[in-house]
Amino acid sequence: MAESRPGPAASDAGGPPRLALALLRRRLPDEVAEAIEGDLVDAHARALAEGRPRVVADALFWREVLTLRAGALRRAARRLEAVRPTTERNRPDRAANRDPDFWSKLPMHPNDFRYAIRRLLRSPGFTAVAVLSLALGIGANTAMFSIVNAVLIRDLPVTDRHELVEVYSSDSDGFQYATSSHPDYLDLREGNDVFRNVVATRTTIARIDLDGRPRVAFGELISWDYFQTLGIEMELGRSFVAEEDATPGTHPVVILGHRTWTQDFGADPDIVGSDVWLNGRPYTVVGVAPKAYTGSMPVLVTGFFTPLMMTDVLMSGGQLERRGSRSMFMKARLLPGVSIEQANASLSAFSAGLEEAYPETNERRLMSAVPSGKVSLNPAVDRILTPVAGLLLAVVGVVLLIACANLASFLLARAEDRRKEIAVRLALGAGRKRLVSQLLIETTLLALMGGVAGLVLAQWTVDLLMALQPPLPVPVDVEISLDRTVLLFTAGVSMLAGVAFGLVPALQATNPDVAPTLKSEATGSGVPRRFNLRGGLVVTQVAFSFVLLIGAGLFVRSLQKAQAIDPGFDTGPGALAWPMPELAGYETPEDVEAFYDVFEQRLLENPKVTHVALADRLPLGVGVQTNGYLLPGVPSETPDGDHDIDNANVSHGYFEAMGVEIVSGRAFARDDLDAERMVIVSQAFVDRYYPGEDLVGRSIQTAGGDDLRIVGIAANTKVRTLGESPRPYVYHLQGQVMFFGMQVVVKGQGTSEELVAITRATLDEVEPDMVLFEEIKTMNEHLALLLFPPRMAALLLSVFGALALLLAGIGVYGVVSYAVAKRTRELGIRMSLGASAGDVIRMAIGGGMRLVIVGGVVGIVLAAGVTWVASDYLFGISSTDVVTFATIPLLLTGVALFAAWVPARRASRVDPVRALRSE
Amino acid sequence: MPKGSHLGDLEELVLLAVRRLGEEADGGRVREELTELAGRTVSVSTIYVTLMRLEEKGYARSWKGEPTATRGGKAKRLYALTPEGLEALEQVRAVRERMWEGAGARTAHG
Repeated sequence: MAESRPGPAASDAGGPPRLALALLRRRLPDEVAEAIEGDLVDAHARALAEGRPRVVADALFWREVLTLRAGALRRAARRLEAVRPTTERNRPDRAANRDPDFWSKLPMHPNDFRYAIRRLLRSPGFTAVAVLSLALGIGANTAMFSIVNAVLIRDLPVTDRHELVEVYSSDSDGFQYATSSHPDYLDLREGNDVFRNVVATRTTIARIDLDGRPRVAFGELISWDYFQTLGIEMELGRSFVAEEDATPGTHPVVILGHRTWTQDFGADPDIVGSDVWLNGRPYTVVGVAPKAYTGSMPVLVTGFFTPLMMTDVLMSGGQLERRGSRSMFMKARLLPGVSIEQANASLSAFSAGLEEAYPETNERRLMSAVPSGKVSLNPAVDRILTPVAGLLLAVVGVVLLIACANLASFLLARAEDRRKEIAVRLALGAGRKRLVSQLLIETTLLALMGGVAGLVLAQWTVDLLMALQPPLPVPVDVEISLDRTVLLFTAGVSMLAGVAFGLVPALQATNPDVAPTLKSEATGSGVPRRFNLRGGLVVTQVAFSFVLLIGAGLFVRSLQKAQAIDPGFDTGPGALAWPMPELAGYETPEDVEAFYDVFEQRLLENPKVTHVALADRLPLGVGVQTNGYLLPGVPSETPDGDHDIDNANVSHGYFEAMGVEIVSGRAFARDDLDAERMVIVSQAFVDRYYPGEDLVGRSIQTAGGDDLRIVGIAANTKVRTLGESPRPYVYHLQGQVMFFGMQVVVKGQGTSEELVAITRATLDEVEPDMVLFEEIKTMNEHLALLLFPPRMAALLLSVFGALALLLAGIGVYGVVSYAVAKRTRELGIRMSLGASAGDVIRMAIGGGMRLVIVGGVVGIVLAAGVTWVASDYLFGISSTDVVTFATIPLLLTGVALFAAWVPARRASRVDPVRALRSE
Repeated sequence: MPKGSHLGDLEELVLLAVRRLGEEADGGRVREELTELAGRTVSVSTIYVTLMRLEEKGYARSWKGEPTATRGGKAKRLYALTPEGLEALEQVRAVRERMWEGAGARTAHG
């Protein structure tokens, strides 16, 4: 043993007798050896200090050493060591533990946390399952919420948002929240008395040249004071100044979007002042937008901003002057003291003034304002999207509820195990609050762990979703991130979950009416009263799982039907290309036409290619293209007296290439190009406007009054969605090529992939520098766009349904296995009395399955009600589709049976003697 | 960990002493407190056995103090009540008060 360093007062001469000290050390367990030795040595020193003679002090010391109850000390030390290891006790532990009174007033104590952690670590299986269930539920909620947040809620980094309003013009259909024209905007800017400032933006795409590889980028044309009005500071450089937006085309300047700056320009800190090439022209960078502002369109990320005055340079000409060309979104800041009602009144008067001054373009066009805070995408769309978002959030909310039900169920079981201990403590007067809080701490810890794990899961899910981008042709960057709002949401949900599934078991377990519990000690059969709550939980889980799975089943079937719908055109192998000659430097219409001619010729030279056609719009493509037509003899209620009809410009070979039948009259012919203006209309057009008549040879007019002769009637095709009823359609023979370029349809022998390769190769030959709106794609990929929403719905619901099924299965397993454990004695008795393994299994399962059946019935009824709401989104099947409502219950029952069978079987294999002896 | 529900007579006194001593509750002082206030002379062994038992039951906690010269360079072991310990004390007190209620007028010593 190490010799202690003698201090000044305890020199060899003044210290206790060495022999006694040695004996002391030999007899004492290390646990208190030091303390006791110290005490005795101290007492000896004090005796000496008080003036006692040496001999007496030594004698006293000897007496203490000899009368030590070393055995008792050693035993006590051993027992203490088992419960609380010395290393732990010797940790310096200053903290507020010094004052027990403070902590006893709170219903909580830091020790509770440590004990809770230890309890959780001691049952790793339960903890793992619990955290996982929570992570799944919380993760799903977080992921869904971040999507909704990105699309609908979006925190714009603008200042004084309550002052900002969106200003809309109504369109020819009477739709209130449409875009405005540039001249109207200029007039409003100058001539209003309610706004401090009015600014505008419009979207565009342009070719951006990066190190020689051209790419199509999404951009906005904005007023020079757009950012200033919104209160957004540039990250680098400056925003635009007034003179840069004063005269058309004179100031090619650009502000880069933050993501473009980071991804395409390597976040170059010296970017300001350099040139960026848009559509083949240099634009000087004057600034970089901040990271928090991704543009005025939700979800889409704007790559660049240029002044409005560059519109005609960047896009096809004449847009700035045309009062009738409406593509601008306007925002304004209210003057102090002006209310939204006053602003709207002023706008009404202003619109009336415009109507009078410019009757051809502004008749019945009314401007209105809506507070920016109330708008997510567009007031009309919001009305549809918000309930959909609500529905999705409800779905994931249900999943989380199921997870919580699972956990509540498990916790009830654990609480039951401790009920004896809890009952005794309660009887002795322990505070119920304190006990409940101890139990709650455990569940809160679980909830926190689940929340953290859920966040990780959500991040993965979001990353996955962003990788599976919808097959949109527009070059978008979708920005869904876990921002502060989302984190707050997750934390809130986790806490709620923790309380939700923890409170009930805690309250239940600490119920002051404990007498029955204490008395039931001997029977060991479990208290039926308690079982009802867990049973109720299982019923709820099963019911909700039913709802989710039936919903999933319906959407899957709907998807199948959607995929089987005949769109009206040939969906066989084909390639689709979308070149944009105007962005590749082809300036005159003749050049553009020449390009397409050469391209078409070369394609047809390939033996595998049988048909080539051009169209500015393909059926079931993105975007809606309508024009006004005057139909003789058919009155209209719109302000302009015309009818808005979907249309497309197509080449003469279109109908053959697309496999669209001409039911009457003829298709376009090659030499029709120089003849009078002619159109082909769809059967639905005839049925809607001139039912029963023969339209071939008759004329309709454009909105401007030009005649269009109908030369043929085409069979119907789907135009906008797969589920629509037949839609009137007008085909024009390819006229002047529009800004967006004509799409090229290539049909032939071989697979789509082969045709795509041929198209790519031919294009490279003809014009290697051609800019494409999107990659050359197959016909299937084109259709995939339309099938995207039903696919996503089916996928999401199936995933959530499977999740719910898994959780419900775990719930059933838990309940049955617990019940079986409780009944071990009883089952043992039965087996020793001659019950077979089969009988035992049946008895054990019986209770569990009864719950499942009840839950199933409730679930089916609920499902029928809920899916009625979603019936609008289902193709071709009713919301009470028999197939779905029959198979899902079978599936669920099967899973439940299995979940119940496993523990039941285990019970039947137990040795009856052991069962009898156990409690 | 085993939580005893019964607080022995000596255990109760020791716990009370620890509580009274606040920050300075080591074995030696507890012993002195008992002698002074309770008139109980307890051996060193008994004190420490009791303290260890209380710690095992979770009613007290201990930690190593600073070594001092007068103790021959040995560190003290200091004790404090845990909340469970305080609760146990309160329970015992409550039991006693309940029993005293209705047990008649206080005696001359009460």
